[in-house]
Amino acid sequence: MEPFARDYNIEKHDLTNAGTIASLTKRELKKRGLTRDFIKKVTIGIYEAEINVVIHSYGGIAAISITDDSIEVTFTDKGPGINSIDDAMMAGFSTASSLAIENGFGAGMGLPNIKAVSDKMVLTSSKEGTRLYLKFDISSDNYES
Amino acid sequence: MKVKNLLESTDFYLISDNSGIKNEVNGIYSCDLLSHVMGFASEKNILITVLNNINVLGVASLLDLSCVIFSHKIQVNEAIIIKSNELNIPLIGTKLTTSETVISLYNLGVPN
Repeated sequence: MEPFARDYNIEKHDLTNAGTIASLTKRELKKRGLTRDFIKKVTIGIYEAEINVVIHSYGGIAAISITDDSIEVTFTDKGPGINSIDDAMMAGFSTASSLAIENGFGAGMGLPNIKAVSDKMVLTSSKEGTRLYLKFDISSDNYES
Repeated sequence: MKVKNLLESTDFYLISDNSGIKNEVNGIYSCDLLSHVMGFASEKNILITVLNNINVLGVASLLDLSCVIFSHKIQVNEAIIIKSNELNIPLIGTKLTTSETVISLYNLGVPN
């Protein structure tokens, strides 16, 4: 199928629209005939990353690129950055605000969940911003027969 | 089993409209932390929560959950009800606690 590429803006603290990028990507993956299990895996990764930008950053963008062989996603935000990536990767470690917690987020499971579902994950961060690159490989088994 | 079968019990009442009450039900997942729901709930599960929040429906929709049950007689705001009708994900209320809800569903024959 034709490659699919989209950029989406993510606003700081916009919890009402959080999940839109995951939802639109899910729709595209369904259209491309991928299996439910595969779609679930990708959706979890994108949703968690999207929530992270909403609850932790000053806002940012997500770039999604889909081909027949892979899905690549890059989330880039405007800061304030992650103090310790090692701590952030630990299941249960959280720096979430009360706003995030009241809305059901901030369990400290976001990044560990993302790592578990993606085939490649590269996370870099400074005070100027955080960049999260994710890749999901698509094999022939991931298409509905 | 379908969502409408749960409503045969006096423990449960429908908060949203009839959209989605024919959704299939194949299990139960209970949690108030959405990352856990994202990571562990499965398609066609019932989600039991006290989290009165629109993001619950975002997650329910992404995971294709069958319905959401609000335990502890949680009052759900109108925006969530409207969204649930759009998404065909029924909202069900109960005065039971979360653990009592699980037991009641199990007694109704919902697999876990």
